[in-house]
Amino acid sequence: MATINSQKDYYAILNVSLIADADEIKKAYRERARDYHPDSGHGDAERFREIQEAYEVLRDEVLRRAYDRQREKQGLSQDAPVGLALLQSRTEALPLDAPQMLYVLVEIQPHAEMLGEIARQHLNVALVVDCSTSMSGARMQHVKVAAADLVEALGPQDRLALVAFSDRAEVLAPTHLVDNPRTFKSALAALAPSGGTEIYQGLLTGLEEVRRYASPELVNHVILLTDGRTYGDETYALTEARRAVSEGISISAFGIGEDWNDEFLDNLARLTGGVSRYIRAPSDVRAALRRQIQGLSNTLLKNVNLEVNTAPYVYIQGAYRAAPYLEILERSESNVISLGNIMADEPVSVMLEFVTDEAVTGERRIARLDLIGERIAAPEPVHLRQDVNVTFTSKPKEESVPTKLLDRLARLSVFHLQERAWRALSVGDVPEATSYLEYAATRLFDMGHRELGQAAMLEVNRLTHGGDPTKEGRKKLRYGTRSLTSPMR
Amino acid sequence: MTQKGSKVVCPSCGAENLPGTLFCIQCGTYLPSGGPLRTEPLPEQEDGRPARPRQGDEEGKETWALNIEVEVLNTGRKVLLSADREILVGRLDAARGIFPELDMTTDGGLEQGVSRRHARIYTREGTCFVEDLDSVNGTFLNEERITPYLPYAFRDGDLLMFGTMRLKVHIYPNL
Repeated sequence: MATINSQKDYYAILNVSLIADADEIKKAYRERARDYHPDSGHGDAERFREIQEAYEVLRDEVLRRAYDRQREKQGLSQDAPVGLALLQSRTEALPLDAPQMLYVLVEIQPHAEMLGEIARQHLNVALVVDCSTSMSGARMQHVKVAAADLVEALGPQDRLALVAFSDRAEVLAPTHLVDNPRTFKSALAALAPSGGTEIYQGLLTGLEEVRRYASPELVNHVILLTDGRTYGDETYALTEARRAVSEGISISAFGIGEDWNDEFLDNLARLTGGVSRYIRAPSDVRAALRRQIQGLSNTLLKNVNLEVNTAPYVYIQGAYRAAPYLEILERSESNVISLGNIMADEPVSVMLEFVTDEAVTGERRIARLDLIGERIAAPEPVHLRQDVNVTFTSKPKEESVPTKLLDRLARLSVFHLQERAWRALSVGDVPEATSYLEYAATRLFDMGHRELGQAAMLEVNRLTHGGDPTKEGRKKLRYGTRSLTSPMR
Repeated sequence: MTQKGSKVVCPSCGAENLPGTLFCIQCGTYLPSGGPLRTEPLPEQEDGRPARPRQGDEEGKETWALNIEVEVLNTGRKVLLSADREILVGRLDAARGIFPELDMTTDGGLEQGVSRRHARIYTREGTCFVEDLDSVNGTFLNEERITPYLPYAFRDGDLLMFGTMRLKVHIYPNL
């Protein structure tokens, strides 16, 4: 007899819709079971058991109805466009007289049918382009081509603005409906590089353009393209970004070449749940912009927050975005983690490191996770919940760590090592930075990422000979290790 | 019952990690021990007990904990495996999340045709089994190729071959 655990989203586990019929469920079960069978290449015994459990319930009409009712009663969204699933490094542990680590991988999985079925979201975007002197030549040419390409990817219901900035900002094309691409394309001709880089000016003007039509039914977004460092106005820009979040506007930042301030752009984008990207060659601008627009129009949920409530004897040591890219996540004092937007074509996962100090036996809920996000054009927010349960027993069962969790953790650990190196360097601790970079290089070689490993060793050599790390090496490592989660080869 | 939670010491950098840590906080080394449960040192390292125990005394026991020692014949490397849980034989590939307990990378595993997930070894009631995981170049027990996904029992002194990598096995009961 199957037992029902209404904390689990069986539909998400099987990757089927809430209205899936018996055949669909059976088919989905077969596929999932084959993928996760412990004997298959990607075997995952924990996941496999969960898939079996979900199937046991959903295949049986009576159980399925009972399960649906329970979920409804808990106020958990029945028609959420995403599912929430957990993988734990272990489910049973010894009650120790000292703190111990527990890793939890939280997976936010868009339901498969969402990708095909949702209407493309309407966008309200401002493109804010750096027009400082350093942008002249190939860079500006490529940006113009990319921007012209971008407008072609938009539809007549989307809104777009073009802002240029150097020492000051100028609106070259005010926010308009893209029913005629020509309006925007002719504005592009006016992009003429001269002067310095004052990001705050550009950002402010871009945000003002987005605000004019900002509404909950639209994806409101600023894309910032820059190749330089801004001086003295970082704090103002970050304050603006915080204000933008509260208005439902997100920001993404693209840095071209090696001279921009990666830490600043990372922070700026992260505050709004957006992403920052390193564009090595100007010719890559086009693909990056296309991808960004594509992602935005596939937005399923906006302003997504993950709230973590821990038991009194538990604390969170670290929180990281583990997919689609790696990032150290910030959390508020009450452990709310802002995740930004969730796209239909990009599952998001978060790695939580819990430290638990519990010496009493028994099954414990060490944390409760609530995922809350806004649907576009729907008043009621989406709310999903999962509990992290651990059984403390003097005889814990032998369990293997889920491979997916281990894999994400391996990559995160390398990413974290190099991040710590840069942090050490920023406070002048060269020996510490050197050793972290060396460790990172070792791990990268182990994982078969030779190019990144060599890049790290190069910087180690420079540091040990009293030199400064190269800007290129730093960006290569920071953005290279960050995308280690992407499928390889 | 409360147990003493001893720190997990990283074998590469010596940093102390909390029990349950999977990657060393200091250097990122994978710590497969996964905590106090699995870090018990092998007996002969612990207090100098003889590596070859008295087999006769163990005869009557229903379940045996066994130690399997394998000798890689081309390199002469000897590895002592604690068979209280399943042993994956293969080549380490952290990127794909493959962390074999018996990692043949340094023995020239790639050249000798060892798959990343090649085979598994486990014990059931005092008997050792090897199971091929549908590896590309196959697993051989005493020169005979075994069928994938079927367990084959092996004994002390048997010859195992993963691809063309030859290993001699010695089995000791673990006290």
